[in-house]
Amino acid sequence: MPSVVLQSVGRRFGEVAAVDDVDLTVGHGEFVTLLGPSGCGKTTTLRMVAGLERNDSGHIAIGGKVVSDAPANLFVPPDQRNLGMVFQSYAIWPHMTVFDNVAYPLSVRRAPKSVIGERVAAALRLVEMERFADRPAPMLSGGQQQRVAIARALVFEPEVLLLDEPLSNLDARLRAQMGEEFRALQRRLDITTLYVTHDQEEAMALSDRVVVMQRGRVLQDGPPETVYRRPASRDVASFFGTPNFIEASVRSCRADGDGYVLEIEGSEGRGACRAARPFEPGSAVVVVVRPEDVTLAAQQAAENGQLVWQGKVMAATFRGARRTLVVETGTGKLAVECPANRAAAIGDGVTLRVDAGHAWAIAA
Amino acid sequence: MTVATRVAAGLPQRSTAWSSGVARYGRPIGLAALVLMLGFLTVYPMAMLLYGSLHSTPPGIPGTFNIDGYAGLLTSETLIVLANTVGLSLIKTILSLALAVLLAWIIARTDTPGRGVLEVLITLPFFIPPILTATAWAMLGNAQVGTINLAWRWLSGTDGTLIDVYSYGGVIWHMMQYSTPFIFLFVVDAFRAMDPALEESSRMSGASRWQTFWRITFVLMLPVTSSAFILSFIRGMESFESAVFFGTPVGINVITTTIYNSITQRAQPDYQSATALGFAAMALMFVLLVLQSRMLRGKNFATVTGKGYAPNVTRLGALRWLTFAICIAFFLATVVLPIGQLLLSSFFQFFGFYQLDMLTLDHYRSVWRNRDFWTSFGNTLLLGVSGATATMALGAIVAYVTTRTRWPGRRLIDLLAWLPWMMPGMVLGIGFLWGFASLPHAIPIYGTLWALLLAYLALGTPVAVRVASAAYQQIAADIEECSRVHGAGWWQTLWRILVALAWPALAVGWVLIFFGIMRELSASILLYAPGTEVLSVTMLKMWSGGKPEEVSVVGLLMLAMVLLFRWLQLRFLQRRIRTL
Ligand SMILES: Nc1ncnc2c1ncn2[C@@H]1O[C@H](COP(=O)(O)OP(=O)(O)OP(=O)(O)O)[C@@H](O)[C@H]1O
Ligand SMILES: [Mg+2]
Repeated sequence: MPSVVLQSVGRRFGEVAAVDDVDLTVGHGEFVTLLGPSGCGKTTTLRMVAGLERNDSGHIAIGGKVVSDAPANLFVPPDQRNLGMVFQSYAIWPHMTVFDNVAYPLSVRRAPKSVIGERVAAALRLVEMERFADRPAPMLSGGQQQRVAIARALVFEPEVLLLDEPLSNLDARLRAQMGEEFRALQRRLDITTLYVTHDQEEAMALSDRVVVMQRGRVLQDGPPETVYRRPASRDVASFFGTPNFIEASVRSCRADGDGYVLEIEGSEGRGACRAARPFEPGSAVVVVVRPEDVTLAAQQAAENGQLVWQGKVMAATFRGARRTLVVETGTGKLAVECPANRAAAIGDGVTLRVDAGHAWAIAA
Repeated sequence: MTVATRVAAGLPQRSTAWSSGVARYGRPIGLAALVLMLGFLTVYPMAMLLYGSLHSTPPGIPGTFNIDGYAGLLTSETLIVLANTVGLSLIKTILSLALAVLLAWIIARTDTPGRGVLEVLITLPFFIPPILTATAWAMLGNAQVGTINLAWRWLSGTDGTLIDVYSYGGVIWHMMQYSTPFIFLFVVDAFRAMDPALEESSRMSGASRWQTFWRITFVLMLPVTSSAFILSFIRGMESFESAVFFGTPVGINVITTTIYNSITQRAQPDYQSATALGFAAMALMFVLLVLQSRMLRGKNFATVTGKGYAPNVTRLGALRWLTFAICIAFFLATVVLPIGQLLLSSFFQFFGFYQLDMLTLDHYRSVWRNRDFWTSFGNTLLLGVSGATATMALGAIVAYVTTRTRWPGRRLIDLLAWLPWMMPGMVLGIGFLWGFASLPHAIPIYGTLWALLLAYLALGTPVAVRVASAAYQQIAADIEECSRVHGAGWWQTLWRILVALAWPALAVGWVLIFFGIMRELSASILLYAPGTEVLSVTMLKMWSGGKPEEVSVVGLLMLAMVLLFRWLQLRFLQRRIRTL
């Protein structure tokens, strides 16, 4: 039974449709991330699940129980939804100690003292904060506050855990470390998690499934690799890194495995690529090619089905392990990423190749 | 899995039916009750004021509706009263503002020694009831027997007169003693909290110190200083004590004293013209307040942030002893002199005749035996404690509804709670006077302590709302939401999070309102009845009855109360707020 179900859920603020007809399912123990640019409605979606915001269309169910049904005017307040939540600001109550903060979800439910002591200790141990139990909450570093917030969200063993950009206040190194730790903890406790972030790398590293949103709508919903390798649209593709978009027309199309293989023709010859759906011969497509999937070749001898371009290096940017090149070709400027030690000086002539498996066609 | 077993199973579940019932009916009922209560405290006296100004006789007596009250205002006499009111307040506000800004700069932005202590001393006069300093200055600056003039004659060997407080200058000087610390308190934190980077980047752009002051510091402080200016100006026009003490005896009248005189000092009280004048005064305040919000719209106070900047401190060198002396001089003139005078006159048979053989404790004894004094002392304490508690509770609720919820009707509540800003105590006093008198006999408010309590509640509400909403704004919304998500109901969240976090600020508000009630004279003087006098009323009555020495004793006692509360506030509350 899925833990969280949203069915055609919407929410308007005046004229703005902050969330527009969103369908979403989170399975038990699954880690699902809402990803999208600022203002796309991620927080609003999460807050509607939490019950902090009322949806004005559709319905929401948690653990098989409908908690909010706009047409039926049913709304369960947040305190009766049995959720854990980590806020972006952590919302650690400054007038309480670490212990009191973590004990709060239990004490408002009138749990006996002995149970509280036991559970809080266990939760603090999970996040390795047991030494800080008596510390006043304001005297914690950002990373420690985050741990306390997670312990507080877990202590009641909630149905679902909600997190709104919990790592965005941390510096880059701590962010990576805390992200991994949290993911390990989530796997261990097998807890259903709905996570919000606008950081695509974080989303891909942590999630079982990524839901890409834009302007209140869901653009694509799938495992990180799928969303990255097989974007449903130009918007999704350009949300992850800076892919090359190459215009081409379809010559032929055949089914192959779980997708289709297209024979395409661009301004510089032919090649093959893959697509999620069939295209009519002659129709225009956009081919998505990731910079890291382009290989620099010495000469022109193209293997069968490869896309090939001739060009001249216009700019090169050193990025540590990698180097980004901008190559001027007959189809326009292409971004290429190659190992930094592959020297390609500005002005050099190069040949670029992409395997059919790394070229992905979407409707123009 | 350590946290695996479900805790929920073993815990009592809240009854969902009950809580949804409360949500459905509790909120509208609560909101309606709040609107009715605020309406009774604000709209009702205003409506009665309007009614009274158009009706030829006091409530309960048959009469006719006419506009004689307003027609009577169109005289040159009224014009002079109006000019006096506006002119006196304008001059005292300009002078106070200049002085207060200087003091704020000294305290916040220079290396003057002992700034922490000086700040406490400078702000002290704000907490001293004006009636107390008024009686003291009447004895200090009396042209014939004032202590200052006596000292001057003794020092100079002449028999000239140095000062006479019974004059325009005297009225202004007395108002300034209250309004300077008022403006100071308003602006000093803005001076202190200003981000030094704003000034530094101006200096880095090539501006001189002087240019930086005028083009950056001054402009950034403009919203705070101008709103302090307008508020102080309005308070000046509402002020009563200064004019009734130092103006009325020499024929200088302002709106409040004119209303007071036409009701209490005539053989045949002229209610209609008093209410008409009151209503006109209210209209004037309204225009000013609208002007103020117009002026401040779009200007933000973003320079005042919560971050703990170390402000730019100007090194003054030897000049810092001059700035130190300025602060001390202000403290001497506004606190030490008046208190010294009260002490002096309380121990001598007659004030003005300070000879050793006139030393006496008679005044203390007679005050001790004075039943009226003890009654009013008890009334003041009772009203102060209950009034401050009720006002702060009301303010906390109103602020919660207006800042923390999206309930329908919250704008109306906000407006209703704001209305008393534009009602001078004197005007609200007449409004309630008529309002209580026309209530059915089954509701005996008129002439009881309830009348005073309700008036204090109305007068204090805008301050209470301001204090409480400032406190709530410090508390981020997700701090509350987090509590809801983790299982706490609405009430639990209110108590365990919001009130638990805001109480130090609410307690400071409580003390402020308590001071406000102790200070209040202009509404009390209209609403008291025999047996419900408060200390300020008793002092005025004793003063008019020609017992200045006993007034000094009462004043000292009142002062002891003020100092006690101020000390408690500084000692226990201020520190908690800083740490939170
Ligand atoms: N209380 C509100 N009143 C009016 N508009 C709102 C409110 N809350 C959100 N919005 C609007 O709804 C839209 C979605 O907001 P939301 O906070 O869900 O975005 P987000 O995806 O979380 O963005 P970010 O990554 O910046 O946090 C925005 O256009 C926002 O301006
Ligand atoms: Mg957000």
